[in-house]
Amino acid sequence: MVTRVPHHSVRPRRRLRLLLASGAAALALAAGSVVPGNPLAPAPSEARADDGKTTLTVAVAQSVDSLSPFLAQRLVSTSIHRLMYDYLTNYDPKDNKAIPGLATAWEPSADKLTWTYTIRSDSKWSDGQQATAEDAAWTFNKMMTDEGAATSNGSFVGNFEKVTAPSKDKLVITLKEPQATMAALDVPIVPRHVWEKVGDFSKFNNDKDFPVVGNGPFILTDYKVDSYVKLKANKDFWRGSPKFDELVFRYYKDQDAAVAALRKGEVSFVAGSPSLTPAQSASLKNAPDIKVNDAPGRRFFALAVNPGARTKDGQKFGDGHPALLDQKVRHALFMAVDRKTIIDKVFQGHAVEGEGYIPPRFGDYFWKPADGQKLAYDPAKAASLLDEAGYKKNGQGKRVGEDGKPLDFRILCHATDPNDKAIGKYLQEWWGEQGIGLKVDCLDNVSDPWYAGEYDLAFDGWSVNPDPDFVLSIHTCAALPSKAKESAATDNFICDKQYDELYKKQLAEYDPAKRADLVKQLESRLYDTGYMNVMAYPNAVEAYRTDHIESITTMPSAAGNIYGQDGYWSWWSAVPAAGASSSGSSDSGGSSTGVLVGIGIAVVVLAGGGLLFAMRRRSTAEDRE
Amino acid sequence: MTTSMEKPSEPREPDAPKPPGEVPAQSPRALTRARRRQAVTRFWRQYRTHRAGLVGLAVLAVIALLALTAPLLVGADSQSVTNAPGGPLEEPSGAFPLGTDQFGRSLLALMLWGTRVSLTVGLLAAFLSVAIGTLIGITAGHFKGWYATVIMRVTDWFLVMPTLVLAIALATVLSRSIWTTILAIGVTTWPTTARLVRAQTLSVESRPYIERSRALGGGHGHIMSRHVLPNVMPLVLAQTTLVISTAILTEATLAFLGLSDPTIVSWGGLLQDAREAGAVSSGNWWYLAPPGLAIAVVALAFTLCGRTIESVLNPKLGVSR
Repeated sequence: MVTRVPHHSVRPRRRLRLLLASGAAALALAAGSVVPGNPLAPAPSEARADDGKTTLTVAVAQSVDSLSPFLAQRLVSTSIHRLMYDYLTNYDPKDNKAIPGLATAWEPSADKLTWTYTIRSDSKWSDGQQATAEDAAWTFNKMMTDEGAATSNGSFVGNFEKVTAPSKDKLVITLKEPQATMAALDVPIVPRHVWEKVGDFSKFNNDKDFPVVGNGPFILTDYKVDSYVKLKANKDFWRGSPKFDELVFRYYKDQDAAVAALRKGEVSFVAGSPSLTPAQSASLKNAPDIKVNDAPGRRFFALAVNPGARTKDGQKFGDGHPALLDQKVRHALFMAVDRKTIIDKVFQGHAVEGEGYIPPRFGDYFWKPADGQKLAYDPAKAASLLDEAGYKKNGQGKRVGEDGKPLDFRILCHATDPNDKAIGKYLQEWWGEQGIGLKVDCLDNVSDPWYAGEYDLAFDGWSVNPDPDFVLSIHTCAALPSKAKESAATDNFICDKQYDELYKKQLAEYDPAKRADLVKQLESRLYDTGYMNVMAYPNAVEAYRTDHIESITTMPSAAGNIYGQDGYWSWWSAVPAAGASSSGSSDSGGSSTGVLVGIGIAVVVLAGGGLLFAMRRRSTAEDRE
Repeated sequence: MTTSMEKPSEPREPDAPKPPGEVPAQSPRALTRARRRQAVTRFWRQYRTHRAGLVGLAVLAVIALLALTAPLLVGADSQSVTNAPGGPLEEPSGAFPLGTDQFGRSLLALMLWGTRVSLTVGLLAAFLSVAIGTLIGITAGHFKGWYATVIMRVTDWFLVMPTLVLAIALATVLSRSIWTTILAIGVTTWPTTARLVRAQTLSVESRPYIERSRALGGGHGHIMSRHVLPNVMPLVLAQTTLVISTAILTEATLAFLGLSDPTIVSWGGLLQDAREAGAVSSGNWWYLAPPGLAIAVVALAFTLCGRTIESVLNPKLGVSR
């Protein structure tokens, strides 16, 4: 804009200096933004960093609810607890049988009421102290006496009379009644000397002091909400040190972004939770150096019905649809659902059609309805059931009750789960043909209406443990909330006398075959009630880079999942690939390319600025003397 | 601008179409009608000279026609997932010119259905936004004093708030439906219109005929509705056309972020579905490109029309094409 340059002999030089300075600043900025290892990009991404440390980076989507083992309920948090703390027992990755963990041996007394565990002597907390029976006894006692500490695993200790540690290597648990799950207590044992100082267990999230003292195969070193969870290998772990030096769970809220990161090698593993979509797994199958693990999952995917929310005392709350109290309506709804189409179209074959409550992967407890009992897809029969229940079609083809109100349901759907939305579309059409209206309520946070009982139907799913006790316990009357709208262990407010009796029987049965038979009867009862209608058992579809991870244990080892196992097997066993070092060097090449690009940009900026300067000088030449 | 002080009922027309002497005796209504017809003809004559405006109008006409005839063109059951004709994520072919989505539905058919939603939301949200803006602008310009101060500070507050953040907050709190989207866009985009209308109102109210009208007993309502509103209408019209493209873009953004009703097919919703199906990382461009292009084309067409209307109605802008 300056057309007159009075002191031209001085100004241009000053301008040139300014230009050079800004060019240098641009150079520094451009270079700084592309060089890895600057403070803005904390997590190292490649399998082997420059200092020779091997890092396994896992892309996850689920947020951590709490890092306190007393509060955590989500899959990501409980999986991390498996890595941080040793449990009394573990499951064999081959066949899911209980094997030694912190306890080397365990046996019941003759009256089935006293269990004695032998605690190993070679397990040390990461601060150097020895892990003893005292720690275990303290953990269980805390859960029995403090309601805040019983939030996540309270169901395991509900039947405990007394827990003592007569010596450093002996843990004695006295039961009120026989309990079959004593070799499968999925409870992280925490160090007493650290946790004694905690005040309010219902508020303490264990995410302030790092590293967190533990005795598992990995030690938690850092955590940033929805950003990353970092763990380092516990070299002194009694079963042997993990092969990777560092394990990082990095957050990718968008699955497609995680897949892109895997393609580029920024992460080594993409967790199949939620599973990769069929399109993603199909495209990754053809990608070089990437292996897709498509294995039978440990989850079930069900249509849960609100049976009328109520508290333990029988106080009713929520606004579930009264028509769903009729078993015929519940059966009719499920019989109008074509599960085969769901498998073929929504999961595109990456799932197995739903039958009983427990997935077929747990063969001992898997139950299938007999032909006469099965609620097979049969729209005609569904229609006649609805007619019987008193919901006849009116002139416009809508089903109306005797009070003249149309039959309209709401279904709770997780806005983050594409499968929920997709199946919601199918349900709308299938039930629409029956004359039933359906509103699909997709929410980011389904917990609030869920606990408040303000829904009719819901998409529901749980990961099942090798011992099915937990997923069975969430449907007992004892799991109901003590106060209305409060969070509780119950899944969807089921309270059925017959179910409860069977549940008690199976819990007291120490003979595995007899117990399995009782569990199957339990599943049969649950199936008949029509409160939990399992539509599918989705596969675990996950992928990893073979040039970062040479081998990794699936569970069960024949065909199983990697992320979210019942144990620490996958991450503990993962072996860094030999090529991982080359990927490290290629990355340093990448960073030098970045520097080159930065220099290039700076040169272009300088050249452009110089050109502009020259042109300006020429254009003002006439004004100068 | 000279204003017609003789005819307070029609201040919109500054000069009478014909000198009264040449016209045979007619009813005032017929006169008005004739004058309006002439105004429209004159508007169209000027609009015609803007090539960009004509292109925009033509594109809009085609899109509106497609939206209206969608049920006839592709059939109502093309949105049905249970009767989907194709396989999941098929590439474009003769049967499916734009390929299929993950349910096997034809993407071309879904695009046509999406046109309806995008246009409906765009038009209604823009109308709501401009209506709020006009109401606030005129009252603030007319009443002045503490009322104007308070209401304009509120407007300023809305103006500096990022629209998208506010819309996201609203869409999250309310239940997910097409009306929520309309409401969310409508109540977050009005401040610009309010400011524009207020400025115009102030300039109109400073003219002497307003004072005369007041002296003759014209109340607040009379002045605002009979004198100010007709004078700000051209501005409002141009503003509406421009806001529509913003509204369509915002609707697509909200749908893409998963904040609209997932059971309704819209262009932004298609993009969201594509993302969820993993179409981005799998390179299924035919799922992503058409909705994106369609949004861009419609927004562009509305902007072209809006700019043209603006320059026709506002003589100060008329020079530049």
